[in-house]
Amino acid sequence: MAAKPKVAIAWLGSCGGCDEAVVDLNEVVLTVADATDIIFWPVAMDFKYHHIESMGDGEIALSIINGHVRNSEHEEVARLFRKKSQLVLAFGACACFGGTPGMANFRSKEDIFNWVYRDAPTVVNPKGNYPQPKSQVNGKELTLPEFYERVYALNQIIDVDYYLPGCPPPPDLIANAVTAVLEGKLPPRGSTLAPHKALCDSCKRNATKPTRLAIKDIKRIHEVEASPDTCFLAQGILCMGIATRDGCGQSCININMPCRGCFGPVEGVEDAGAKFISALAAILDVETEEEMKQVVDQLVDLAGYTYRFSLPVSMLKDIRNTR
Amino acid sequence: MSDFEPKVVCFSCKFSWGYLADEDALASQIKNWVPIICSGKVDAKHVVEAFKHGADGVLILGCPEGDCHYQDGNLEARKRIYLLQKTLQSYGIEPARVSIQLSRDPEGTTIPDYIRKMSESIKKLGPVRRTASPVK
Repeated sequence: MAAKPKVAIAWLGSCGGCDEAVVDLNEVVLTVADATDIIFWPVAMDFKYHHIESMGDGEIALSIINGHVRNSEHEEVARLFRKKSQLVLAFGACACFGGTPGMANFRSKEDIFNWVYRDAPTVVNPKGNYPQPKSQVNGKELTLPEFYERVYALNQIIDVDYYLPGCPPPPDLIANAVTAVLEGKLPPRGSTLAPHKALCDSCKRNATKPTRLAIKDIKRIHEVEASPDTCFLAQGILCMGIATRDGCGQSCININMPCRGCFGPVEGVEDAGAKFISALAAILDVETEEEMKQVVDQLVDLAGYTYRFSLPVSMLKDIRNTR
Repeated sequence: MSDFEPKVVCFSCKFSWGYLADEDALASQIKNWVPIICSGKVDAKHVVEAFKHGADGVLILGCPEGDCHYQDGNLEARKRIYLLQKTLQSYGIEPARVSIQLSRDPEGTTIPDYIRKMSESIKKLGPVRRTASPVK
């Protein structure tokens, strides 16, 4: 029998939701398991990194890597799988754009450490201990991965062949992606294995969107009882669908929550946040400068809203609030 | 900090700014000047991109209120810039680094003055803080 293609599912800085999404393939996962040899999947099976280290370069057909890179361990694992794999798929919003943990990039490592180990009200740390990559305990040296200055998307650390965004990616796109690899029917390298258009394009609520959207007042979803079938923007609720890639299956919209942007920007757009800001400005129906300020000033954490999943890959990734 | 000369990128609408002037002569006085047709054409992306490429401030000169050749491009720009100021603050880019002026100067002689004035206030803020390159 010909050897089956080897597939690895690795996680870096990840919550486990992406692995759960693979499990959510249900019986399809059995087909995948039949057609491939899953050689690494820490969430589901017991394999060790040294098994991977002992493999030849390029021996793994496909590595599905989820999670962002924040420390030296993440980087080491990412580089290991890149070396041993023919194809690397950045899986999920964190691997593709840095994801929600990427919002930490609004703060420096120093800020984060000071809060977590010193200033947070629940912290008791009289000796002022901070985690160190190396420390001496009873004459022995203990090591920890080094915490980096910021969060990185996977392609800022290693070369990535394909992208599948989402928080987490939906089962149909996962199945399509794996099938495409197995059958060798892949688009050009560097492609995102999801539709190219914006979410609004397939949104059921699109029919209720007026020809010219005009918001006079911005509301947050918890402040109102949102209509279950009217366009969120028409109701004055910020929805990222206008600047977000389609393909998620509208799991949020279906439960009456506006889009938060986990699929990242549409094809060809580099900076998701800037694009959303331009779109939002266009639909704000305010005449005078005072009126404009009144509406915009109500917005809480606009930057967090617009860059919720994509801060580490934003155009301003090298610019940092250091205060 | 005293020898810090801020880089200011200026987008100005041709319908109100410097249309009577010799563009080349004016351009020789103004660094990083981008004459455009309608300030409403300035996307948030263009401002963000200016900062990405090393700008310390971005100045947009649009037509006076009610005088946009395309009805309300200048007001669109003003909304966009205000939203952008709010967003950029989270990056540590102070609102004063992005400014929009809705006025008119066909000769364009005041454009360098506006830029000088903005440079002065940015000088006090210092350069935009940037971090070292990634580990890669």
